[in-house]
Amino acid sequence: MSATDTGGRVRKFGSAVADGWTRERFGLLGALGLVLLAFGPSFQIYLFTDFLVVALFALGFNLLYGYTGLLSFGHGLFYAGGAYGLAIVLRDLGPVFADVVGSGVAPLVTFVVGGLVGLALVVAVAVPVGWLSVRLEEIYFALITLAFGMIGYSLIIQDPAGLTNGTDGIIVLLGSVDVGGESFRIGARQTYYALTVVVVLAAIYGVWRVVNSPFGTVCKAIRESPDRAAALGIDVRHHRWMTFIISAAIVGIAGVLRAGLASVASPGLTHWSTSAVAVIATVIGGATYFSGPIVGAFIFLYIRWGISRFPTLDAYWELFFGALLIGVVLYFKAGAVGGLLLLRDRLFGEGRAGGDDGPTQGGGGAAEPGSSGDRADDRGDDS
Amino acid sequence: MTTVLKTESLRKQFGELTAVDDVSIEIDDGDITSIIGPNGAGKTTFYNLLTGVLQPTAGSIWLRSGDGATDDGGGLREITDAEPHEVAQAGLSRSYQITNIFEGLTVRENVRVARISHERTRLDFRSRATGDEAIEADIEELLELTGLTDIADTPCDTLSHGEKRTVEIALALAIEPDVFLMDEPTAGMNPTEVTEIVSLIRELDADLDATFVVTEHNMDVVTDISDRIVVLAEGSILADGTPDDVLTDERVTEAYLGSDSV
Repeated sequence: MSATDTGGRVRKFGSAVADGWTRERFGLLGALGLVLLAFGPSFQIYLFTDFLVVALFALGFNLLYGYTGLLSFGHGLFYAGGAYGLAIVLRDLGPVFADVVGSGVAPLVTFVVGGLVGLALVVAVAVPVGWLSVRLEEIYFALITLAFGMIGYSLIIQDPAGLTNGTDGIIVLLGSVDVGGESFRIGARQTYYALTVVVVLAAIYGVWRVVNSPFGTVCKAIRESPDRAAALGIDVRHHRWMTFIISAAIVGIAGVLRAGLASVASPGLTHWSTSAVAVIATVIGGATYFSGPIVGAFIFLYIRWGISRFPTLDAYWELFFGALLIGVVLYFKAGAVGGLLLLRDRLFGEGRAGGDDGPTQGGGGAAEPGSSGDRADDRGDDS
Repeated sequence: MTTVLKTESLRKQFGELTAVDDVSIEIDDGDITSIIGPNGAGKTTFYNLLTGVLQPTAGSIWLRSGDGATDDGGGLREITDAEPHEVAQAGLSRSYQITNIFEGLTVRENVRVARISHERTRLDFRSRATGDEAIEADIEELLELTGLTDIADTPCDTLSHGEKRTVEIALALAIEPDVFLMDEPTAGMNPTEVTEIVSLIRELDADLDATFVVTEHNMDVVTDISDRIVVLAEGSILADGTPDDVLTDERVTEAYLGSDSV
């Protein structure tokens, strides 16, 4: 890459920013917001980090649901897999790394290795679990994934191999890095927030690439009509299996981040009620849009926080989300993103570039994957 | 003439019912063969057997293989136990009687899926789907051929019935089949649309090397396009020959035309 090339790109970016409501300007605003937030109140940093992790969890889940048409009720298994992978490495191998690389940077090295081990563990689990699960479709797929999730829950609680510490879970201590007199805690609010932002943004970009690749195009075709895809020479079962593994890996990354944030890897992560968080966030945000799970996770966590401010309401928080979910499923299947786009069209008219016939066009359909209304297209994101 | 598709004593039993009964047929290269018969004659079941959607109770299916592999010494490969995607990869493509396209995608995306499948790039998750220039050029060419260029970027769920039927054909063509099974291409079409589809089929037959097998209820269409007609009744072959021979056959008139008031 030549210097002039880079200069040209920078100039192009600059003029795009100067030129009204462009995506570049929104991007800069977003980045600025992310940086500013790091100087906000500690709890707000925590809440936003939490949101980023759940957003990645739901986004990974939606690769399988909104894009490929398979509703998994067991993705908590992979969330937990990432968390326990990190926790076990930190607990059992921390001292070993301290001996090998020196105690100064050992916590960081252990964290990175632990994260990679968590990811590898998730993939190792997803390969056989996915292979078996994709033999089934629709409600049977949902049930078998639910069963696998609960098998994981049971194994973690019973702890036959003495690895998971049963119902108590494993405490996750990220430790402090000491380099040249400087010292910082990886688990410190701001540090962990910055780390999460980088990892989650990179992962979101990765998912976006997958969705817009030939692989992702075939996923959408399988969602629309599996037997037609097969009649065109596509090995549907194999493709679903590969999607399952990628989806699980993304969720595994979220699980690693979750363990560091919560300072514990607990069995509840693989309980079906955790799997349901991804489902609820995705449906509220709109499974038909790339950004649906992200927006849904935002709504889920911030409303959840809002409710928790009122102790009398807090006892009923699940009731509130139940009602919200019923409302969305019955009356507004396009979800929050569909609603926002509808609002944008009302306010700014139809004159958007790109020649779409309106991004909400497909939004009125059913919430069931596979039906024509349920399409996870990027068209809702102007890409 | 070379045989491109052959069945030997093909049979499909659903419990007591024999849907396809001992059908042996050889389809020749380059022909348009029509398979006709009254409702329930076993046409769609026969297609589902050929394309691997159903497993036959007995008998075998053979397809001429493009790569020269041969199981019988005559250039044919057995596909009896192949799965649907393997049949498609072997060169046998189909369109559906009840429109089966990717409704939520645009026309262009529909065809792109088929080209990605044909070019075997479906596992590529790093490139952009629209980034393969060869594939994009092939898509344009195919849209041109089938007359879909003007509605290329329209989502399929907003198309008219006739347009959807054309996408149905474009999809099946996009994987460059050696043999193309069309299941009632004119199903549910108005007379204008029927004329358009018939001229499209003629055009495709002239332009492409593919061999066409068509099931059809519209007898005008059948007599118009067929080189050969095979009549199925109650799961077995009743008559087989040129349109003139078959349509003057008394048994056919009795079993098919008589009962179906065409």
